[in-house]
Amino acid sequence: MRLGRRPALRLGRRPPSHPGAVVLAEPWSSRLRRLLPIYGLILPGMLLFAAWALMPILQSFVMSFTDWKLRGDSSFVGLANYMRALDDPLFWRSLSATVGYTVVTVSGQLVLGLGAALLLNEKIHGRSVFRLVYYLPVITSWVIVSLIFVWLYNGQSGVLNWFLHDVLGVIDKNVAWLAEPATALWAIAILGVWKGIGWTMVVYLAGLQGVPHELHEAASIDGAGTWQRFRNITLPFLRTTTTFLLIVLTIGGFSAFISIFVMSTAAVGTLGGPLNSTDVMLTYTWKQAFQEIDLSYGAALSFMVAAVVALISIVEFRFARQQEQA
Amino acid sequence: MGSIQARRLAALLAVPAALSLALSGVTAAQDAVTPDESVTGTVVFWNGYAADGDEITTFRNEVLPAFQAQYPNVTIETQEIPYDDLRQKLVTGLAGGVLPDVLRADIIWVPEFADQGVLLPLDQEMADFDELAAGVFPGPLSTNKWGDHYYGLPLDTNTRIIFANSAVLEAAGISELPATIEDFEAMLATVSESQGEGVYGYAEGGTGAWSVLPWIWTMGGAITDEALTTASGYLNGEGTVAAVTMLKKWLDEGYMSPSILGGGTATSDQFGNGQTATILEGPWMPGIFKNQFPDLDFTFAPVPAGPGGSQSVVGGEDIVVFDSAQDKEAALAFVRHMLSEDSQMAMGKVGQMPVLASLVGNPDLPDYYPTFMEQLKTGNARTPVPAWPSIDEAISNAVLKALRGDMEVQAALDEAAGIVDGLLAENAD
Repeated sequence: MRLGRRPALRLGRRPPSHPGAVVLAEPWSSRLRRLLPIYGLILPGMLLFAAWALMPILQSFVMSFTDWKLRGDSSFVGLANYMRALDDPLFWRSLSATVGYTVVTVSGQLVLGLGAALLLNEKIHGRSVFRLVYYLPVITSWVIVSLIFVWLYNGQSGVLNWFLHDVLGVIDKNVAWLAEPATALWAIAILGVWKGIGWTMVVYLAGLQGVPHELHEAASIDGAGTWQRFRNITLPFLRTTTTFLLIVLTIGGFSAFISIFVMSTAAVGTLGGPLNSTDVMLTYTWKQAFQEIDLSYGAALSFMVAAVVALISIVEFRFARQQEQA
Repeated sequence: MGSIQARRLAALLAVPAALSLALSGVTAAQDAVTPDESVTGTVVFWNGYAADGDEITTFRNEVLPAFQAQYPNVTIETQEIPYDDLRQKLVTGLAGGVLPDVLRADIIWVPEFADQGVLLPLDQEMADFDELAAGVFPGPLSTNKWGDHYYGLPLDTNTRIIFANSAVLEAAGISELPATIEDFEAMLATVSESQGEGVYGYAEGGTGAWSVLPWIWTMGGAITDEALTTASGYLNGEGTVAAVTMLKKWLDEGYMSPSILGGGTATSDQFGNGQTATILEGPWMPGIFKNQFPDLDFTFAPVPAGPGGSQSVVGGEDIVVFDSAQDKEAALAFVRHMLSEDSQMAMGKVGQMPVLASLVGNPDLPDYYPTFMEQLKTGNARTPVPAWPSIDEAISNAVLKALRGDMEVQAALDEAAGIVDGLLAENAD
């Protein structure tokens, strides 16, 4: 050891930060002693995750390459299930229904959530009450609100029909919103938007705190209008928040299952809704796996869903990255 | 004989005398039911009896103890699972290998599970099968047949008949329930025209097979041929087309509630609120109406007769045994017990219509049973094939498209017949 030089403790083989520094590698025994409690605490959670989440996912993945039978031997069929999905017109229909549902729910939640956040960022009386009320739908149970909305949408005695037909007079005949192929999926999407506005609002509120007051003040002194200030100051600062929300809400839209399952079976009795118009990817997967009892096809479909979601998330992420760098 | 010998003789004679006295006391106490201690084991029984109704209390308090008295060495573990969850649990159990021993299965599940190869063919496993089969209604029995074997026995049955709201009919000036289709249609017209908007002559909840088959069969239509191989010529045949055309006319003329298109008020609610004069319902409804609409006055009638007679759809449950059952003898003994007259009568009093022909007309059964049991004589089961749920969907979609006017009736049924042909062909292996 040279006199006057401070020994630098380094892990592994990273080069010394300044010339002449002496690297002492951490002895493995003390490293073990340091890391053991950490791994020890993580281990139970990891085991549970491996057993209940990882193992079934891997098993399902293997299952998707076989013609899995409940009794007897299954044989390896390679990509047959995946090819079947690509040739299945009902699969493509469910994909387009899912995309439509996701577009409506994501844009609805983003726009309305941002609007609510902007309004509730101002200092007004009862602001926290409003924030609470707007957030309440987020913590309600999907099953219960789905059933309530089935009642609201009822074609003969529903509140929506009463309001539009008897009160406002904008429709001339009661509409069975959940039984009409043209309206069923969008009626369910409205529930999805309503339920998510509060959460989007909260995330945007957090993002809005990062927008500097001074810029707004300076801009308004310079004569910039509200919309100009919003577009040129607020929005750029909300870019990362919006990207995050876009990805998470898209995943949420593709994962939509409970509301569609409950509402189509409660209103029309069948899982696909009226004339299969509300079949989204996950309900179609569920139907193949558990109604038709074709588990390997269901497994393949579920991985197709995962692939689509992953692809869209990557595209959104890249797009947002490009926007940022521009 | 010496006194010692006499005492020994007396002792010897006393023992059998005492025994016979004791035995006669025992048998008298048990009303001549001799417990069969040779059958042992555990039987896991899943059923869908309503957890908060009379069905489950009667089952637990009357039927089960009677079985235990007869087979003291058999343990029965029962699980009540709500109907909607039961099928899901069974499919999961099939995949995971956790199945009950005995199941009260909806009749439409039996061909499916038999096809999966998980049910015991009872006609082979039970020596007295033919005797038991001869004692039950043929319609319900047919729901247990798949291929060349019977995979279960009927347990309880039901059908749909006309329920008529007395108040609505009286207001429309109708005193007698129509017996023919023509009179029924005339009645529908009278009710809907005289009672104004929002009141109909008939209400149906959807276009699924359970809803429309009574009308299809009554008008002389069918879904498939006898051999269950083809739907073309039957599902799109004259009778079926006539039936769907008739329903479309009723809907367009306002005789029938729009709830048949789905998403509307439940037919039972419409009936209870006086919004419809008639509905088709099952034997569980009088009990429910008593609680929900206690002042409701209604009567029963068979499905009005058309070219095909008066035909309705058979529902109900079968009792099946899984081939994974460990204690087969015990399971089969339980099946026999559930089909005994005592069990059938006990459950019959709480809405589970018995399947035994010997109980028809029994005065201890609820007084509204006779019309149901008459209708059951001409009751038809839904096509007993594993692909039934998909066939049901094809029929439902076709009728819905026809009623909405998206397609002509014949075209919609032609499309469905093509789909069902394909589904039936898949099965024929």
